[in-house]
Amino acid sequence: MRTLLRTVALCFFALLSVLLFYFGREHQVFIDNNTIEVEGDRFRALRLVRVTVNDAKPMELMQRERDLVKVVGPSFRFKVEVMDQFGENVEKVIEKELRPGFAKNLMLSLPLIASDRDDYILPPPVYVPPPPSTREAAAKDEEGLVPQENEEVR
Amino acid sequence: MTQSRIAQKLFRLITDNAVPIIFIIISAVAIPLSGFSATYLVQELLTRIGRNSFLILSLLIPIMAGMGLNFGMVLGAMAGQIGLIFISDWAIVGIHGIVLAMIIGTPISVALGLLCGNVLNRAKGQEMVTSYILGFFINGIYQLVVLYLMGGIIPITDPILVLSRGYGIRNSINLLGVRTVLDRLFPVRIDSFTLGAFHVENISIPVATYLVIAAFCFFIIWFRRTKLGQDMRALGQDMAIADSAGIPVNRTRVIAIVISTVLACYGQIIYLQNMGTLSTYSSHDQVGMFSIAALLVGGASVSRAGIGNVFLGVILFHLMFIVAPAAGKELIGEAQIGEFFRVFVSYGIIALSLVLHAWKRHNERIRARRALRIPAAGAAASKEGTQ
Repeated sequence: MRTLLRTVALCFFALLSVLLFYFGREHQVFIDNNTIEVEGDRFRALRLVRVTVNDAKPMELMQRERDLVKVVGPSFRFKVEVMDQFGENVEKVIEKELRPGFAKNLMLSLPLIASDRDDYILPPPVYVPPPPSTREAAAKDEEGLVPQENEEVR
Repeated sequence: MTQSRIAQKLFRLITDNAVPIIFIIISAVAIPLSGFSATYLVQELLTRIGRNSFLILSLLIPIMAGMGLNFGMVLGAMAGQIGLIFISDWAIVGIHGIVLAMIIGTPISVALGLLCGNVLNRAKGQEMVTSYILGFFINGIYQLVVLYLMGGIIPITDPILVLSRGYGIRNSINLLGVRTVLDRLFPVRIDSFTLGAFHVENISIPVATYLVIAAFCFFIIWFRRTKLGQDMRALGQDMAIADSAGIPVNRTRVIAIVISTVLACYGQIIYLQNMGTLSTYSSHDQVGMFSIAALLVGGASVSRAGIGNVFLGVILFHLMFIVAPAAGKELIGEAQIGEFFRVFVSYGIIALSLVLHAWKRHNERIRARRALRIPAAGAAASKEGTQ
């Protein structure tokens, strides 16, 4: 009986952990308005576009701009409003709901969304940490943790 | 006769509560000198009570079981920090992150508590110093895991967390995703109220944190009445008698330490979510010392502590934290002097409390011996009389 209870408790906590992971995960969504080439086709950056993610404050992106929003949970809604060149009239409105699930970061390509393509989710830009050889580039909070040049490690 | 009895009672009251009395006097002098407003002091105290009380409450159960002050609570703190490192890497934010960190920290703290409990069972009578040194030992293993294994063998992928060399965790981690989430869960703001001669304005109360602390207090009250709680109290009074009564001494002691370590893990998570920053290699260092100092300041001793001592202690100890630097600056012109004074007083108070405890125990032993001698002498005299 005790073993059964322990197993049930263990399963409960494992399930709870998965649910917490799924519903509490924060996703970094990069909104990218750069010209992109897919399968030989070139999709030009939009002149001016307004993007609203969930109920957050709308953000405006010009050509070749990229912004970042953070969303929490398994899904989020976004609205893309393509503006005319004067930024006064809305030419096109696209609303979508996305389920990143367990994925952490993703990038949305606005030119692809505006072209009604489904492959608008791009891999996120990769953060490249400074190489270990360039000690100056290492963050200040690494002081004392990373051996310095010519420092003898004992 | 009556006067001497009153004097005796007064002397006893003073010696029993010497530490809180000293702190109350110092605070009474330092508060006006510091020049802080009542609003500032009340807000700071409310925040610090929420931040530290859980950690200090985790010390009560080992004291109940006669194991003294559990310096091994830093083991639980390390487990909590490991949980926070993982949720930071996985980007789990909000209350979900806090609960998940607690779930991750629980098995680690149970394992560490089992280790600590079993070691302390082999060092009966020297639990405090053993747990203190054990804290250093486990700190070494923690550093090995966090500095060398994480990012390498243990997968940590976030480049913001990992050192530029590719493995090991950075010195400080920003807990922005979980910062004050528990405190802001049910935010309550009081516009103004009057506290005696002081007017307090615009105070925010971290209700959810206080609810968690209240739940913990009720747990302790309930736990004392359970079979296990009664066993622990029996152990705390006399281990040999408890053993004779059939109480599994070693097992009960291990359980006390495991509970304390797990609760210290939760306490550290609550503490760090309030701070918002995790110093990977030093956040846990001073946790044991500060919590124990606060408990002792509240009038607890190595063998006796209650929930009241926790709250009195956290108020007085942290009042010193807040006012001492400012009072030092007003008095001498340097805030650092006040800070030195606070550190000196805080650690001095631990020493004073331990000395007072030893002195009291010594006096009690003498009194008990005398009490045994008097009836024996009386019996001998009456025996001589009859002969």
